[in-house]
Amino acid sequence: MILRVRGLSAGYAGKHVVHDVTFDVDEGEAVTIIGSNGAGKSTLFRAMLGLLHTVSGTIEFDGRDISKVPTHAIARRGLAYVPAERHLFAQMSVVENLLLGAFPRRADPEVEDLVFGLFPRLAERRKQAAGTLSGGEQQMLAVGRALMSKPRVLMLDEPTTGLAPRLAAEAYRALATLRDAGLTLVVTEQQVPLALQLASRGHVIENGRIELSGTSAELADNPDVQRAYLGVA
Amino acid sequence: MRSALVDGVVLGLQYGLLGVGLTLIYGLAGVLNLAHGQIAVLGAIVVALVVDAGAAAFPAALLGIAAAGAFLLLLDLTLMRAVYRQEGERRVLLGLLLMLGVAFVIDGFLVWRYPVEQLALRVGGDAVPILGVRMTRGSLLASGITVAAGLVLVVFFRYSSLGRGVRSVIQDEEGARLCGVSPAAVRTFVFAMSGVLAGLVGVTRSMTSPIGVNNTISFTILALIVAVVGGLGSVSGAFLAGVLLGVVDRLSSFYIGTYVTTIVLLLCAAVTIVARPSGLLGRSPP
Repeated sequence: MILRVRGLSAGYAGKHVVHDVTFDVDEGEAVTIIGSNGAGKSTLFRAMLGLLHTVSGTIEFDGRDISKVPTHAIARRGLAYVPAERHLFAQMSVVENLLLGAFPRRADPEVEDLVFGLFPRLAERRKQAAGTLSGGEQQMLAVGRALMSKPRVLMLDEPTTGLAPRLAAEAYRALATLRDAGLTLVVTEQQVPLALQLASRGHVIENGRIELSGTSAELADNPDVQRAYLGVA
Repeated sequence: MRSALVDGVVLGLQYGLLGVGLTLIYGLAGVLNLAHGQIAVLGAIVVALVVDAGAAAFPAALLGIAAAGAFLLLLDLTLMRAVYRQEGERRVLLGLLLMLGVAFVIDGFLVWRYPVEQLALRVGGDAVPILGVRMTRGSLLASGITVAAGLVLVVFFRYSSLGRGVRSVIQDEEGARLCGVSPAAVRTFVFAMSGVLAGLVGVTRSMTSPIGVNNTISFTILALIVAVVGGLGSVSGAFLAGVLLGVVDRLSSFYIGTYVTTIVLLLCAAVTIVARPSGLLGRSPP
């Protein structure tokens, strides 16, 4: 088990948004956290990465508690996070963003080839400033930058935010490639069909609590999930 | 006229070096270092004292520059911790007030202990004609060192991993942390670097005119003007603004009079704020 979250509660300025969340992620699997806007998906991820102060519970990554470890140290240990807002370095070029992904180590040319192979459009725009890329390209760059650190787990917060349906499907094809290559993925999503195709297991989060857990097939067959997220009447 | 231009470039390079140290700390930590000029003079006084004690100029200069760097490094690790706990406007205000306090402490200390101590590094040799203007070896060496320092900075920020790390924190702190960059470590490094740059100004400036406690406030004001005109956070902007303002400085004292130059320079800063708030090469607000 590479990630173990136990009784995690977190929020902003003393007000809890996420309550007593417990879940595990095994090495090499893809897990999705499904929920509507404001359900607490981003807060959960931000708390796991040490970006929020008010946290109780434990987060074990690779057997060690990281709940008191600063964000940059968590990232260096191999837990990569792609936030929905992406947080790219807008004035820097595509290549510079990728090089920073490997910080403080030197970028591995093999990983760079892998990123450009996965996203050929980034290779065409190497020298272009990240801020001038289209939304889809920025998402590719955010994933590429996270991959440059050779992470053991890649966490993505709503990777399809602001993307047209065709681009969203393209993004998920890239994620499936990474999953098939053995990378552990944790993905939050509102676009539930795409997420359930990618993941083997999922958790439904509502009002900051995990309300339902199961395999992707079980979740897809669940009437509540169908009504709330799959548009089935 | 021509000599005013050449003098202006020489002076302007010094202004640029002065502004760079201030602009970096502001861009990174949101702290406006109102003690920047004081720290530059502090470095120069250390050099003067070490030379008085019988040391050669070169090792003395290195020691003074290191002292200025160490001083700002120490400030980052102690006083500034309280500032970093604040966010936004409160951070800017607290940083500003604490640095103003530091400036007064340094000024007071220098007036008390070393009121007449001055650093004047004499560089031997005859004047050299450049573009038909006779330039002293001192101003040539000072300009050479400054240009070299500027180039080192540009290469460092563009091509080194640590330099990219510093820029990443300036552009997007959360993004930087997610990439494994520690904002606190980067801040400590840049404070020390800014101190070294301040010390370097004290040393190079003393090759053309003596530096003492009288220079502290004007140095700080100049650094502030250069940083504003160049764009807060921009290294090349600071050097560009420095050279432009140096030329404006010399021309206005040539045509109008020395007494108005500071006013003219402040006017340049004011016009910049109105016409181009992010400065010559600064980032435009998102």
